[in-house]
Amino acid sequence: MTNRVRELRLAKGMAQGELAQALQVSRQTINSIENGRYTPSLPLALAMARFFGLTVEGIFDADDA
Amino acid sequence: MQTMRRNRLYWATPLLGVFIGLAYLAAFWLGGRPGDGVIGLIVMLAFTGALMLLGRRSETVQGLLDHRDERITGMDLKATAVTAVAMILAVLVGFVVDIAHGGSGEPFAAIGAIGGLAYLCALLFFRLRR
Repeated sequence: MTNRVRELRLAKGMAQGELAQALQVSRQTINSIENGRYTPSLPLALAMARFFGLTVEGIFDADDA
Repeated sequence: MQTMRRNRLYWATPLLGVFIGLAYLAAFWLGGRPGDGVIGLIVMLAFTGALMLLGRRSETVQGLLDHRDERITGMDLKATAVTAVAMILAVLVGFVVDIAHGGSGEPFAAIGAIGGLAYLCALLFFRLRR
C-alpha cells in the first residue's frame, strides 16, 4: 500500500503535528502512515480524503492488490 | 459529544487504578493488615499519578488513556492479546505442574475455566454484533 499523504501535507505547508490535530490522531500515526508502516482504517482514510478534497483512491494505492 | 466521550475514556484508567488501590486497602484491612493496605493504595496512587504525568509527555501513553488514536488503540488490543496468551500459557503450565505434583490443579483449573468461558462469551457477543 503506497500513499501520497506526505506529498499532500507538504503541498498544504503543514507539519505532521498539524495534520494529526486536524484528523484527531497522534503525530506518530501520521508519520507511520506516511512511511507505509500503518494502513489507516476506512473512517480515517475517508477523513483524510475529505480533508485533502480528494477520493480515497486519490491518496492511497493498493499496489499489491 | 465526541469530546465528552474522549474525556470519559481518558479518566477510565486512572479511576480504575484508584479503585484497585482502594480495593487493596479494604481487602488488607479486612484481613487484619491495614498497614499493607495503605502501602497497596499508595503504590496504586503512585502508578496512576505516573501514568497521568507520562500521558502529558508521551503521545503513546496519551493514546492509551484516551483511546482517541486508532493506531495506538490497535497496538493496545494486540498487546492485550499477547498478554492473554502469556497468561493462558502460565495457567496451563501451572495446572500441569500441579497435577504432576499430585495436586488437584486448583486454582489453575478455575482460572482456565473462567478464561475459556470469557473467550466463548466474547466470541458469541461479537458474532451476534457483526
